[in-house]
Amino acid sequence: MNIFIPLLAGILTGYLLKNKVKISIDKPMAVALLLLIFFMGIEAGRVEINAFKLLLYSIVFASFTILGSLFVALLGVRR
Amino acid sequence: MSLLYLVLVSLVLGMLVGKTTSFDFGNFYELMLYLLIFIIGVDIGKSKGLREELRKLGKMALLLPVATIIGSLIGGFLASMLLGVSLKWGLGIAAGFGWYSLTGPLLAAYSPVYGVVGFLANLTREILTIIFYPVAIKRIPKEVGIVMGGATTMDTTLPIIAKFGGTEITLLAFVHGFILTAIAPFLIPLILQFF
Repeated sequence: MNIFIPLLAGILTGYLLKNKVKISIDKPMAVALLLLIFFMGIEAGRVEINAFKLLLYSIVFASFTILGSLFVALLGVRR
Repeated sequence: MSLLYLVLVSLVLGMLVGKTTSFDFGNFYELMLYLLIFIIGVDIGKSKGLREELRKLGKMALLLPVATIIGSLIGGFLASMLLGVSLKWGLGIAAGFGWYSLTGPLLAAYSPVYGVVGFLANLTREILTIIFYPVAIKRIPKEVGIVMGGATTMDTTLPIIAKFGGTEITLLAFVHGFILTAIAPFLIPLILQFF
């Protein structure tokens, strides 16, 4: 299923329910997230992975995205 | 226990179960992914007042998220070149803007390994922002420093920004995070489908 279908369905539902029903989505979101991460862990656990390599990749990607954002913002954003 | 700890426990527990058992969970993973995306959609749909807030903050409110998007994608591009990772994964990871709980599962639908990298890289972005934002704003304008946190500036890194950057930039940080939070669920699948 395309990811946009549940996303757009959710946006439409949220828009229609706005000002009509007071719903807190924090708890359902947390439960869905924890289950999703658990199942993601299962999928990853079944694949042979090098933990050190994953950690290194994560740090490189995090650092580069932060530095890239700062570079562009310092270059292009003026008050 | 904070949600961050629970998330890490879930990930480690899942990896242990995956490593030690061969139990078939069917398509539970996909169902949970679609449920989470739907809930995120509801959250975006019911939010209000953004247009008014944007008007108050002026052009800075739009320029900062644009800088974050362009800069993150450039960073992801360079990181993928350095590590020899396909551009599809590099840009997909970068387009999470720190939203690890979205990026990890979305990428994992295509590749479990890059799902974990996407998760950890974006979690690391959040952690690095918490550690280095207070240090960075000693040398750069505190408004510009907001871009470090990406989408997380509307929730998890907002208290740090408010405490060290001052309450006058809190709204700017929130709007920055809000715009990126609205864009990431569209941008990641687009990158994964077109690259």
